[in-house]
Amino acid sequence: MALDRADKKALMIVFNDYATTRDSALRDQLIEAHIGLAEYLARRFANRGEPLDDLVQVASLGLVKAVERFDPARGLEFTTFATPTIVGELKRHFRDKGWAVRVPRRVQELHLRITRVIDDLSNELGRSPNVDEIALRAGTTEDEVIEAIDAGSAYRSTSLDAGRSDDDESPGLLGQLGDLDPELARSELRTTLGPLIAALPEREQVMLYLRFYEGLTQSEIAKRLGISQMHVSRLLARSLQQLRELGDPQ
Amino acid sequence: MGGTRVIEVHGEQVRLTLPTTPQLLRVARLTAAGLAGRLGFSFDEIEDVKIAVDELCFALVGARGRPGSLSLLYTLDLGRLVIEGTATYEGAPPEVAPTELSSQILAAVVDEHELSTDGGGLRFRLLKRRTEGG
Repeated sequence: MALDRADKKALMIVFNDYATTRDSALRDQLIEAHIGLAEYLARRFANRGEPLDDLVQVASLGLVKAVERFDPARGLEFTTFATPTIVGELKRHFRDKGWAVRVPRRVQELHLRITRVIDDLSNELGRSPNVDEIALRAGTTEDEVIEAIDAGSAYRSTSLDAGRSDDDESPGLLGQLGDLDPELARSELRTTLGPLIAALPEREQVMLYLRFYEGLTQSEIAKRLGISQMHVSRLLARSLQQLRELGDPQ
Repeated sequence: MGGTRVIEVHGEQVRLTLPTTPQLLRVARLTAAGLAGRLGFSFDEIEDVKIAVDELCFALVGARGRPGSLSLLYTLDLGRLVIEGTATYEGAPPEVAPTELSSQILAAVVDEHELSTDGGGLRFRLLKRRTEGG
């Protein structure tokens, strides 16, 4: 990732053009020119239990956001502007994955593999797979599957505010529910689930509502929100834990 | 998929006694998940059982624990798992007042559940059936 002065100058021109035209071809050119930065930052987060490919992908997403938001008129170097955005994406990825607490690499890998297997099998079978089926497909034992599917709740940090700051800015979540008006859904969530709920990130509020009031299964919620079933499981466990702690009169 | 290897059970029981501290509730949950898995429960159903165990054990143990002990009895029957928990305390038992939210959660995840006082302690019972034709 070494751009010389001439390169930088040329890119600045492209940035200026992009700022006025919003031409997607220019945007792609800018992303391509800086992909090395994304890869470089992704590698700094390697060896923490997430596959490098995934990290590069996450970092690239951060890069895309940075390119879109960069305002050349403000006189900052693009790399100065983009680095915190990309690092932020990577950190959020780890936070979402819940690996704040160190766990053995073997268990992390198994957890990731089983996460995929559960989603694949659910799609293939049209129902939630059982442990035997998961173990067979993942090439492991039933005991390891049980351990790995419990990993979600075990590995989350139990700190009360662990989930608080996690409120990702993805605005589309309530919107993804399609038939629900986001504002209406939000107020309904709070009146149905009570005031404690307001302390949770919006995504978790939605999940609680879908799971316990709409009666959707975890697999169905995963499909609806486009995330893995393990992720649903982990977030639900975390929200419930938080609600219990908040509601505990002790 | 090939034949699911589900163990044949007729009322077999597993007992577990834990101190009433939240840190060890994972053992209760993991045991429940392990047994549900052996009964051929699906991933979704296992998750349901775990949520219910967490919810009910929490009612007995609280966020910071209470001096005492928690006994769990897991009964395995064909396609169904019953978990009973009894907590005894040093001193007066805590007030048990299940919230509406808690009841709603439990109703969504298990087939039967109850939480009650039992002499000087508290007890719960839950039942989860495996969905057939899975």
